[in-house]
Amino acid sequence: MTQASPLLSVRNLGVSFRMESGEHFQALKGISFDIAANRTVALVGESGSGKSVTSMAIMRLLPENNTEITAGSEILFEGRNLLQADRRALRALRGRDIAMIFQDPMSSLNPVFTVGDQIIETLMLHTGMRRKAARQRAVALLKEVGLPEPDRKVDAYPHQLSGGQQQRVMIAMAIACEPKLLIADEPTTALDVTIQQQILQLLAELQKKHGMAVLFITHDLGLVGEFADEVIVMRHGEIREHGPLQQVFTQPQDAYTKALLNCRPQLDSRPARLAVIDDFLQDQPYQVPPQRERGYAPGDDIVLDVQGLCKSFESREGLFGKHVFHAVKDVSFQLARGKTLGIVGESGSGKTTVGLTLMRLHQASAGRALFNGQDILAMSPSEFHACKRRIQIIFQNPYASLNPRFTVEEILLEPMTLHAIGRDHAERKQLAAALLDRVGLPRRALQKYPHEFSGGQRQRIAIARCLTMKPDVLICDESVSALDVSVQAQVLNLLQDLQDECGLSYLFISHDLSVVKHISDQVMVMQHGQVVEQANADSLYANPQHPYTRQLLSAIPQGWPQQKGTQVA
Amino acid sequence: MLAYILRRLWQMVPTLFGVMLLLFILFNWVGGDPSYILAGKSFSAETLANIRHQLGLDKSLPEQFLIFVQQVLTLDFGTSWSTQQPVADILGSRIGPSLTLALPMLLVSLLLSVIIAAIVAYVRGSLTDRIVTLICTLAMSVSALVYIIAGQYWLAHKLGWFPILGWSDSLATNLWLYVPLPLLLGLVVSLAPDIRFYRSCFVEEMNHDYVRTARAKGLSEQVIMLKHVMRNALIPVVTSLMMSLPYLFLGALLLERFFGIPGMGNEVLNAVDRSDFPVIKAITIYVALATMLFNLLADIVYKLIDPRVQLK
Amino acid sequence: MTSQTTLLADDASCPASRSLWQLGWQRLRRDRIGLTALWVVLAFVLLALAGWLGLAGSHWRDEVAKPNMPPALFKDYGPATVELTAADIDAAQQHNTSAADASAATGMSAEDDPLAADMAAAQTQAAKAAPLAVTPANDSLLILGSDSRGRDVLQKVIQGTATSLLVGLSGALLAILIGTLLGALSGYFGRRVDDLLMWFYSVFTSVPDMLLLLAFSAVMSRGIDTVIMVMALTSWTGTYRLMRAEFMKHKGREYVQAADAIGASHRSRMFRHILPNVTHLLLVQFSILTVALIKYEAILSFLGFGVGVSQTSWGAMLAEAPAELLQGYWWQMAAVTLFMSLLVTAFSMLTDSLRDALDPKVK
Repeated sequence: MTQASPLLSVRNLGVSFRMESGEHFQALKGISFDIAANRTVALVGESGSGKSVTSMAIMRLLPENNTEITAGSEILFEGRNLLQADRRALRALRGRDIAMIFQDPMSSLNPVFTVGDQIIETLMLHTGMRRKAARQRAVALLKEVGLPEPDRKVDAYPHQLSGGQQQRVMIAMAIACEPKLLIADEPTTALDVTIQQQILQLLAELQKKHGMAVLFITHDLGLVGEFADEVIVMRHGEIREHGPLQQVFTQPQDAYTKALLNCRPQLDSRPARLAVIDDFLQDQPYQVPPQRERGYAPGDDIVLDVQGLCKSFESREGLFGKHVFHAVKDVSFQLARGKTLGIVGESGSGKTTVGLTLMRLHQASAGRALFNGQDILAMSPSEFHACKRRIQIIFQNPYASLNPRFTVEEILLEPMTLHAIGRDHAERKQLAAALLDRVGLPRRALQKYPHEFSGGQRQRIAIARCLTMKPDVLICDESVSALDVSVQAQVLNLLQDLQDECGLSYLFISHDLSVVKHISDQVMVMQHGQVVEQANADSLYANPQHPYTRQLLSAIPQGWPQQKGTQVA
Repeated sequence: MLAYILRRLWQMVPTLFGVMLLLFILFNWVGGDPSYILAGKSFSAETLANIRHQLGLDKSLPEQFLIFVQQVLTLDFGTSWSTQQPVADILGSRIGPSLTLALPMLLVSLLLSVIIAAIVAYVRGSLTDRIVTLICTLAMSVSALVYIIAGQYWLAHKLGWFPILGWSDSLATNLWLYVPLPLLLGLVVSLAPDIRFYRSCFVEEMNHDYVRTARAKGLSEQVIMLKHVMRNALIPVVTSLMMSLPYLFLGALLLERFFGIPGMGNEVLNAVDRSDFPVIKAITIYVALATMLFNLLADIVYKLIDPRVQLK
Repeated sequence: MTSQTTLLADDASCPASRSLWQLGWQRLRRDRIGLTALWVVLAFVLLALAGWLGLAGSHWRDEVAKPNMPPALFKDYGPATVELTAADIDAAQQHNTSAADASAATGMSAEDDPLAADMAAAQTQAAKAAPLAVTPANDSLLILGSDSRGRDVLQKVIQGTATSLLVGLSGALLAILIGTLLGALSGYFGRRVDDLLMWFYSVFTSVPDMLLLLAFSAVMSRGIDTVIMVMALTSWTGTYRLMRAEFMKHKGREYVQAADAIGASHRSRMFRHILPNVTHLLLVQFSILTVALIKYEAILSFLGFGVGVSQTSWGAMLAEAPAELLQGYWWQMAAVTLFMSLLVTAFSMLTDSLRDALDPKVK
């Protein structure tokens, strides 16, 4: 199919950064792609792939003092090379012909100006409108992006809006001057799954209505299946695959793309092991493992029985008043030995608070938690100390859960020393080394510091730390949410193996419904601090009873519609 | 807002109490017996007992403290031990000269340092920036004493451009004749650290994400700096300004001493020289009160210029 | 498990692992200005050590030269000195005694004069003592000149360095210790402890530094110990605020929560876990405080509230400067200014470089 000359044409773009040590880091290694007018192109890649660098390079927003663009790179917009354009030309282009929206709308909006002012500013700059006309147009734009009460919200400050509303304002600002190309850099990553769906739909509508080209950058291949025309897959600064949506999803050429497509947990299948990237980099084609059955059985031994758990937070208001926030309201559930209970909900549902309260990192307001018959919430701190080794937790942020000043050895030895595991230092070192083997890290890692490891590796160290105490229950508080999809698969497989070997019981807290379905036997859905529905995983996902559960399930990005039910080899 | 102000005023009480306690411990306990100082040359036992009785030092410590509290609440600190003038009178006459020097100095210093800091932040990383920062660092390393001594010597004594020291009763004469040299020297001392501080405020603001958004909208660097960054950087600048206002009352201690300006700062120094406890106590209480009130004012102004702030 | 081990396959050629401190030190080494500043500061500290131990500058009290002699290199730049000969002194005394005789007739009689008895006793005592042998003033010029009593300015300045650095470093150290302990307790435990300590903090900060220093000086005697203690008691507040904020922040971080989950005690969490993560900030704070205290000490000593008369410091030397300048003797002030500016500049640059090396942020 012959195409008219493309709107944006990137040729041999190479970008390198000068590090403080004097070395150069090659972020982009000579990539080339085109974007035609009125098309949606999705740029997909994990962290470190160079996707954000690409978008910033197009807008010439990279910091000048340490960035080097390789000679021979070209970025042609409507035939003009942006890399050689002067400042004034670039400023005229930005906001008018090419617009951009960013990942974190709260910090991307100026906190001291109203949202209306910020939209009016763009309008007055590029279209020469007078203030009054610009204000009317701003209100119309806010209406178009679906902001409720636009004539009132136009005078609101950014911090008075929710995350989803802020992103709508950013979109309004971006489309104000009818740009030809809209670059969206991970616009939904920081949002809840239901809001995410709304924003994606909004973008799709606006794209059709205004006839803009959209460059949509994301790490989640599943997101793009519903509205992208073309998909570009990047890894380590190179383009691995580029093609129309259907082709990339059904007949991917590159091994990495195949891996990405397969290592994400699917709603309709549950392999015994998730695929990881290495499975696809080998010569033999990937064999889909058999399915695994999950669910509570009637004869299961109950290891943790929570009844009526409540937790509220107080804050001061007014001169003498108090404001009480009920984070967790009357939550009850049972955890069977050797099984996983998944707790699912959006932000503010109270799911994390449940985990922290069970660990007694927060003081529960009411309720009981029977662990092996004893109520751990009612114990005195010294009594609970003995119980601590039985219930452990893995936190969400791998970059904050390990003390940056400790070596891995010190991190692993500390719990052993506290609970008198192992006879002496030498034996403890042996145990630590053995645990590192267990989680798949080399023994050399004992002498290293956390900052020398990647996110996935740090989560493994955190898991190893918990294993030193041989706990019965492990609370995984969004433990894989901050990881790339491929790394997430590895960690999930590790958790699965450990559960099979050691009979660990997991309380798996997450907002990601596909991951929860993969790893859980029973699932509990929470909203506003209360349990909305609770059932065996398969039955809950197949037949959701509560309207909120149905809403959550329908918001999950489905990927390419015809991918359902097939594993691509 | 009113509830907030009331609550803050209520919270000031324990702090004021603490300052009184501190001063009491210092002057009535650690400071020892001042009767010898006041007795002068004739210190017979009778005279000393008399003096002690007059000052109330023969009472027990808790009683003395209550007297002190009463003094503070009525703002009547008695008379100065060295000049026998009522302390209130002394302070009343000293505050004028202090403000005559300190206010103009503050205004000029603020204007100059903010403008220079903004310019330097705008061209950050360039040669100009580095030279100015270097000059500031070097300037800050010289003691204020040296600036004042050398300045007084060269500009007033040797070159005769300004009077060496002095003060008059007329505001106009003061502002025209006696203030310029101390103001100049005070500027030299305070500009360098202020420029560095404000520069760092501006640079920190420039690294925020909303600046990236503004660039993506196509705004020029000047507009970004003057409109977006300035407005945000105003917050720490104003906060820091409000925090330094209580120092106006103390006056520029050294400048007043060197130039013979009869202000609060000079008075404090004289009082410490002569162990004139009532004056020292009175000045400290007044300045403490002023500091607390200005802190409250700072928080209210902060609320007015930063829409995110919620006063609790 | 093959997938996991390939992750660290390139480890074979990995360089030795570096702690965050070592990385910071590397960054500092790359910063040439910071490194130079570090050497200068260390040189000064060595000089101060020599002064404390009496290896240098210990003879500063000796009046070895003629008063107010200019430095050796600048001997042509001082005002012409007037030499008094013995004849001039005799002539003056003659004049005085004749005047004294005249007033003696109208002076007070021994019964009225309350000090007559004491004076008579003093004179008989004085007649008993033999006067000290006066070392003849030598003509040679000193490197930095001499002050109004003929003392070697170089020796004084070295001794002054020792005093000022002693006061600055120990005052800063003490202030940091107090501020860190109180800030840690406040930030970590919160609630009542925090309320109490914040009250303490608000009391000390509602009085400006200088005023508090003066108030303390008014009631305590002069001397180095007093100065150090007074400075520590007034400057702990900055560190307190910093540490309180840091401990509050770190307490909520996952690695501290993880330590709690493992079963670490409060003390362990505060000092084994959190403290090592804030010591780099304390180092920068120490540097800033030392500079501030050195400057304050100079002002205090200048005003007469600092070190006692038996000690000398930069401030005390500057106190002699205005009178000397009037007569045209500039070298003592120049010497002090030179030494002090060099040290403070080096310290300030070191502070900046430390901050960039240990707590790097985007410039």
